Amino acid sequence: MPLLSLAGVGKRFGGVDALSEVTFDIASGEILGIIGPNGAGKTTLLNCISGVHPLDRGSISLEGTRISGLPPHRVARLGIGRTFQVVKPFASMTVRENAAVGALFGSSNLGPRQAFQAADEVLEVVGMTAKAGLPVASLTIPDRKRLEVARALATRPRLLLLDEVMAGLNAVETDEALEMVRAVHARGVTIVLIEHVMKVVVGLCQRVVVLNFGQSLAEGTPQEVLNDPRVIEAYLGEKYARRMRGGADA
Amino acid sequence: MSDIQPGAAFSTRPDAGGRRLRRVLLIVFAIAAAAVLVAPLSTSDQADSLGLPVLVDRSQIRILTTIGMFVVMASAWNLVGGLTGYGAFGNVAFFGLGAYTCAVLVDPHKFHLPMLLAIALAPAVPVLFAVLVGLPLLRLRGHYFAIATLGTAVAVGEVVKNIEYLGGATGLFPPIVRHGDLLFLYLMVAAALLAIATGYLVLRSRFGYGLIAIRENEEAAAVLGVNTTAYKVAAFALAAALTGLAGGVYAVWNSFINQEIGFSLDFNIQIILMAVIGGAGTLFGPVIGAIALELLIQGLAGQGTIAVYAQIGLGLLLAITVVFVPRGVVDFFGGSSRLSLSHLRRSLRETSV
Repeated sequence: MPLLSLAGVGKRFGGVDALSEVTFDIASGEILGIIGPNGAGKTTLLNCISGVHPLDRGSISLEGTRISGLPPHRVARLGIGRTFQVVKPFASMTVRENAAVGALFGSSNLGPRQAFQAADEVLEVVGMTAKAGLPVASLTIPDRKRLEVARALATRPRLLLLDEVMAGLNAVETDEALEMVRAVHARGVTIVLIEHVMKVVVGLCQRVVVLNFGQSLAEGTPQEVLNDPRVIEAYLGEKYARRMRGGADA
Repeated sequence: MSDIQPGAAFSTRPDAGGRRLRRVLLIVFAIAAAAVLVAPLSTSDQADSLGLPVLVDRSQIRILTTIGMFVVMASAWNLVGGLTGYGAFGNVAFFGLGAYTCAVLVDPHKFHLPMLLAIALAPAVPVLFAVLVGLPLLRLRGHYFAIATLGTAVAVGEVVKNIEYLGGATGLFPPIVRHGDLLFLYLMVAAALLAIATGYLVLRSRFGYGLIAIRENEEAAAVLGVNTTAYKVAAFALAAALTGLAGGVYAVWNSFINQEIGFSLDFNIQIILMAVIGGAGTLFGPVIGAIALELLIQGLAGQGTIAVYAQIGLGLLLAITVVFVPRGVVDFFGGSSRLSLSHLRRSLRETSV
């Protein structure tokens, strides 16, 4: 049985179909990438899975149990953690306290004392142990993104949804972030990541789902998907796709 | 790192200075509380007949009792306004409802319950009201929540004023308790200690962290597993219970309650001022704010035009506090470098966002 399965997921905002008929499964233990041009509905999809947006159509199940329709905190307690593309730290708290909140709630549901121990643990995983006592305000952007991951990880998720954790990072920072995601995955967490940086997608993902205008356009390994003419067309336009094809023919 | 204990978040910056300050405050409060509890005993007839010196006269006992009342209400407001970050502007409704509840329960022609039982039951109605009103209102944020709670408080006052059973515009007159000065002082101080203890326990619990997380970022709190609706309503109801308790004690102490007193907008503003000036979101901030402001108000009372200017001054004080020391007096003096100009500039920038 897949860990998470989406069946005919649809979400409308006013007259716009942000998502329609999105259907795919996520297997336990994999790293699945979700790519697509801007406005394709990637973040909306994460919001639907994590319960931030209620669905208009379709259903989402976690190991066969329907989770669509549940409020975000229930989804979190069932073991789905997420980060936000625009980071949302608890600004008045220290790094350690931010992570501890994740451990206090989420599916781990620890008491305060154990939660701080769990916080130290996840901070080590994301490489922020040295910054545990710092206030969030003093963190750089890459560190804030790390903290976002640490906090989600502290909820002890089975499935972690990462929304563009590499965006805006330089090459060195991206490599560090790649290592971090691998370390998280090594702990047995299934990962879904939205990403624009193709180096990350190719380097990490076993499987990729491409969204375009709210629909799933293609699905497969990173290589298959990136060579798919429909995907090239979606990203670069019809003309470019034809030229690519023409070039291949010649 | 391991010396940062769970619960440190409520000081928001758990540095050594903050911890030392908290310890000093705790000792100061212990001494002050002991003095407040013991000194008034010298006014009792027994002490008088023994020839002991009278340390506190009856008007001072009244002021102390009032301070206790505001400590309760400011600490209670702090749970919603300070910790959860929802600027409630109608907490006086809880006070009024608690006072009326208690007045009805002790009334010889209505329920005729013993006074202490009536006081203990006073929070029931405010809590019920907080849950019913909180569920829809706590979906609002910022100014909208403030205005909605203020409007609700005013509306409830008007409704109460027009209910014949509650004495209409005249109000209710609970039986006068003779020589009750000390009793009511101790009841109010007990309520104040209960309010402070509640704040202490909340700040150290998962509940408190959830509330702070909601204040800092509600969406992030929700996806981490905080049941935001339940937490917000629970905080609101807890504030209502404590404020209603203060109202209950007040009703029998004052032996008179009407809409103007029970739903006084002056009280309403003072509660918020005290918590914000003292330090919203901290444990002792509202306590310090309540003591300082009530002493100021009492000191200026009956001084003619000065009292009027003082009202304007309070408004200015609030504005200055919010701009320059958004976390209140406690935080301002809590750190090592907070008195610096750069800190003022930083707080100015942060508040102007």
